[in-house]
Amino acid sequence: MPNSRELTAVVGFRSKNAASHLVTQLLDQGWLEQDAAGTLLPGPRFHTVPVLGTVTAGFPSPAEEELADTMSLDDFLITNREATYILKVNGESMIGAGILPGDLLLVERGAEPHDGDIVIAQVDREWTIKFLRKRGRRVFLEAANQDFKPIYPTEELQIAAVVRAVIRKYT
Amino acid sequence: MEPLTRDSFPRAIVHIDGDAFFASCEQSRRPKLQGRPVVTGKERGIAASMSYEAKARGVTRGMRIADIRKVCPEAVILPSDYETYSLLSKRFFAIVRRYTPDVEEYSIDECFADLTGLRRPLKMNYFEIAARIKKELDAELGFTFSVGLAPNKVVAKIASKWQKPSGLTAIPGRELHRFLAKLPVEKVWGIGPNTTAFLAKHDIRTALEFARSEEPWVKKHLSKPFYQIWQELNGQYVFELVTGEHETYYTIQKVKTFTPASSDRAFVFAQLAKNIENACIKIRKHKLAAQRVVIFLRTQQFRDFGLEIELSGPTQFPNDILHAVAQAFEELFEPTAAYRATGVILSKLTEAYYGQLDLFGEAIRMQRLSNLYESVDTLREKYGKHTVFLGASFLAHQSAQHDGERGHVPERRQQLLPGETARKRLGIPMFMGEVT
Repeated sequence: MPNSRELTAVVGFRSKNAASHLVTQLLDQGWLEQDAAGTLLPGPRFHTVPVLGTVTAGFPSPAEEELADTMSLDDFLITNREATYILKVNGESMIGAGILPGDLLLVERGAEPHDGDIVIAQVDREWTIKFLRKRGRRVFLEAANQDFKPIYPTEELQIAAVVRAVIRKYT
Repeated sequence: MEPLTRDSFPRAIVHIDGDAFFASCEQSRRPKLQGRPVVTGKERGIAASMSYEAKARGVTRGMRIADIRKVCPEAVILPSDYETYSLLSKRFFAIVRRYTPDVEEYSIDECFADLTGLRRPLKMNYFEIAARIKKELDAELGFTFSVGLAPNKVVAKIASKWQKPSGLTAIPGRELHRFLAKLPVEKVWGIGPNTTAFLAKHDIRTALEFARSEEPWVKKHLSKPFYQIWQELNGQYVFELVTGEHETYYTIQKVKTFTPASSDRAFVFAQLAKNIENACIKIRKHKLAAQRVVIFLRTQQFRDFGLEIELSGPTQFPNDILHAVAQAFEELFEPTAAYRATGVILSKLTEAYYGQLDLFGEAIRMQRLSNLYESVDTLREKYGKHTVFLGASFLAHQSAQHDGERGHVPERRQQLLPGETARKRLGIPMFMGEVT
């Protein structure tokens, strides 16, 4: 921070006295502080503090500042917006994984499928939802329902999308 | 052979074209349709888009559905789902914008993008960047795109068409002459039949012959746009990209069913006229003008007959459109048939603008119509729709309509999710079919 003489020059006062008067005021109001040697330092009010509205008593309400960092349900559920599609479950093969007929899925196209992901694969010209399992070089699809046998693809397995979220809306 | 220019990419422009866009949108969300001939446009009675499988069997754009059933009986014919096509189109442009903000949304299924200067930040050459964009588009939208990379728009268009579907073609300035040598001049973007005929008189048949014409000759015999095309064929960058995201209606359509079915020519025409009036209200609301009109009539047997009419200039007034479609209507209308619905689709939409003056008083006529419809729209806002209407649609205002029917409504609109309504649906495209 400038000392009183430098401040005189900066502000354009003629006398150093006027500058010290200004410094005293700034000190009083907390804009500046003075250490033991008399050097001026930035005070507590020097750094801008956002005004968050009036608070009746106690601590300031953190609510409004926090709101600036919230996300919409869309942002929460969707990572890659351009690649995300919706589809409706029809079968019962994933009941064990908590995916029921009528549920809506948010699926991501073009994503790299990993072992254990729930995926949408294309089998016999139909979409099918299953766990993707990779055992060494072998890749197969596994249902979460004992009534369904695992699917071992004879040709290249076509994974259309990876399931990112399940939505069940009770009207 | 001497190259046209030694500079390979003074600018790097890509043109990206969705392969059979509408049909591909349908195939990508219905595995049942993959590898099969698919045609969209059922609701208008003519093909709006067809998959490569359908093209291979001779189906062409604008072909009547009845004819398609003859040449390709196995074709799957679907009603257009413009809502989904538009959602996917927006995604297409958004993916390209991951790489550059300079994107020109040329139409629902094509765009230009400027990649100039991106090599260093992306640590890739232009071809690799184009390949990466294509890879993301193909993977995330679930169907293929054709990409052309060149020093300018005209050549980028040639490049994207060079190999289709799913092509990726780069034409650096240095190689330009090799590509143009094999290309008939009429295949160049912007060169129409008249110019082709004129050039043929001077023994110019390939794009290369045109590009090698002497500059003073080109300037003397051809108008400015063709001189600019000549410049671009020589590797220069002339046509700027028109960038910026524009909220565009790609088509505006109005369809209305009426019961009982009618064989009364005047009544059916009045129904069509009313649809045209309604479509024009919407087009004016969005300050757009249309240059292409499709009209169609649906018979009691649910067979659709449509015709496409190209207008001489863009318009937003029903008077112009009615005048243009009257003859097409006569061609479509069969006195022995009973009709249950008429429809109109306005497309090739541009921002309404009548600034251009001309010899035949067209601008003055347009100004008059514009004044007239400003009053019509004011009356409508104040007293409701159809406070004043054209005499041509009088008969259609005499009786109540009946609305709604399936089969011509896209599947997405019939499968509403809980909370969705006929007017409002989730803005996320849906995979269709059984998911077991």
